Amino acid sequence: MLVNLLPHLVNGLTLGLLFALIALGFMLILGLMEQINLAHGSLFAAGAYFAYAIATPRLPLPDLNQAWATVPLGWRYATAFLVAPILVAPLGLVIERLMRRTYGRDPLYGLLLTFGLAMVLEDAIRALWGTRDYTLPVPRDISGGFIFLDLIWSRYRFWAAAFALAAIALVWVVVERTRFGAMVKAGAHDGEMVQAMGIDIKKLRAGVFVLGTMLAALAGVIMAPIWGIRPHMGIDAVVPAFVVIVLGGVGSFWGAVLAGLLVGMVVGLSGAYASEWSLLSMYLLLILVVTFRARGLFGKKSLLEA
Amino acid sequence: MTPAARHQAPTFTPTMLLTWAVLATLPLWIERVGLYQYLAVEVLIWATYALAFNLVLGHAGLPSFGHGAFFGIGAYAFGLAQFNLAASLWLCLAAALLASAVAGALVALFISHRRGIYFALMTIAFGQVFWFIAVKAHGITGGEDGLLRIVRLPAGFGIGAVSLEDNVSLYYGVLAVFVLVSLGLWRLVHSPFGRVVKAIQQNEERARFVGYDVWKAKFAIIVLSAALSGLAGGLFAMAQRSAFPDVMSLHYSGYVVMMTLIGGGLVSFWGPVVGAIVFLLARDLIGAVTTSWMLWFGMLFVALVMFRPDGLAGMFAGLRRPAPPPAPQPVPQPGED
Repeated sequence: MLVNLLPHLVNGLTLGLLFALIALGFMLILGLMEQINLAHGSLFAAGAYFAYAIATPRLPLPDLNQAWATVPLGWRYATAFLVAPILVAPLGLVIERLMRRTYGRDPLYGLLLTFGLAMVLEDAIRALWGTRDYTLPVPRDISGGFIFLDLIWSRYRFWAAAFALAAIALVWVVVERTRFGAMVKAGAHDGEMVQAMGIDIKKLRAGVFVLGTMLAALAGVIMAPIWGIRPHMGIDAVVPAFVVIVLGGVGSFWGAVLAGLLVGMVVGLSGAYASEWSLLSMYLLLILVVTFRARGLFGKKSLLEA
Repeated sequence: MTPAARHQAPTFTPTMLLTWAVLATLPLWIERVGLYQYLAVEVLIWATYALAFNLVLGHAGLPSFGHGAFFGIGAYAFGLAQFNLAASLWLCLAAALLASAVAGALVALFISHRRGIYFALMTIAFGQVFWFIAVKAHGITGGEDGLLRIVRLPAGFGIGAVSLEDNVSLYYGVLAVFVLVSLGLWRLVHSPFGRVVKAIQQNEERARFVGYDVWKAKFAIIVLSAALSGLAGGLFAMAQRSAFPDVMSLHYSGYVVMMTLIGGGLVSFWGPVVGAIVFLLARDLIGAVTTSWMLWFGMLFVALVMFRPDGLAGMFAGLRRPAPPPAPQPVPQPGED
């Protein structure tokens, strides 16, 4: 019985780590800017599409494309993995630039602005790549399946979980062990004070936005082989991310990681019994938890209660 | 407060009568300007929906990003009542109104004590729940294929019945609903209850300290807004002759927010109507040139949020008044025409 559930638990774990990764970028921005970035999912999608363009390869330069296609998939995949988030980063900078007008105002305007941007980016993806689904090719070493305990396991899921875990650890190091992280945390706590101490809050905001954007894009690259690449994958990712944030509580690193795992597990386990309905379970979990704990599991008082 | 504002707001205003008059003549000239009759029906339905939606966004200051759920539930209820209860227009519209009111009450139970971004996020979650159910409950809603073969029912009046089969007669049927809803909402916004809602929008805590039951007022306004959105949804099912889950998606829930904001729902009672017209016209006009119309319209919307969050109505008021308010605007107040 438990063995039968094991694959679903592994799926849930992978999903949970990825949700946590998306949510962490989302939360860094929410903490410092006090704005919800609904376009975060579009950056996730952009990461996946850029990775596809690099790895397949479908670059807009025909000559380079041919030469690049002769390179082994493993190298192309690794390049896509590292370069796609960097290519998406300028998009995040543009969004940050546009959002500047909403800082200090009712968070509703940030929400509206980024909703509009999400619509723009989604339609831009449709215009560039069409509405069809794509699959990101994965090198043979990390794809395929293996048999363990008489069950077939997807090798990539374990790799995806490992990638996500590594990225989360990296975020932890950056936020908890660097000067930049200290400034970000201080800025989220009291932006004016940080400015008074001579830190350029504009640069800090841009830095956090780039970090958040790259995390979203990286999650998109990791998720692409599992979900497939399609225009509305951005919305599919941003909604779980905010569920994780609200559930875990705003401003809590471990809250986001735990809530991500919890959401992933609940989706994975409910998938074992009713695969059609599994995504519904995370909303029900959210409603249940928030009804009894208004600030989520580990939340402090935040702008969400404004 | 100016002395004029202290007066009881008139039941009919020149703007209201002008809006109705223009809309009443619309079928006579809409084809002359190169558009089509069905667009007029669509505009009126979305205008009704946006007016109902603005009850929460503009008047109560509660940003709902899940209103599509109520619109969609109204549409499904209309179809299901027609198939399973009786093919009567009044019964089906009542079913649409009631079903979405019940759904609205269920949601309001969980979120009436919230506001701001938390409110927005929770409405997204509830909206997704209803959308998800509509997509997956294939046996009831038809899933992604939709609920098909919904009939445009005639409006029966005891002695006889008026067919609403063609687009022009349906338009006048929808116009009757629009006139009733807009008049009712106008009265409501200017009633004592409407003032409590406005007080909540301006400062919830102060309203509570003055002694108003804020929770009850918010609950009532959410349920009412949901019910009227459902009514519009019922009309939409009739116009489309079908009901689909996509109107319940986050995208469509956002579209009604966009309409309301573009028209100036934050500062004007009639803003959502203007917004619905602009949105659907832009969809058809930009959509005639390019398939990715939202790419361009979304950019316009982003620019609007950045520079004129009070929308077209705000711009119009700015033209009439020489000195526009400074950039970080004070809490906007709708309902002032």
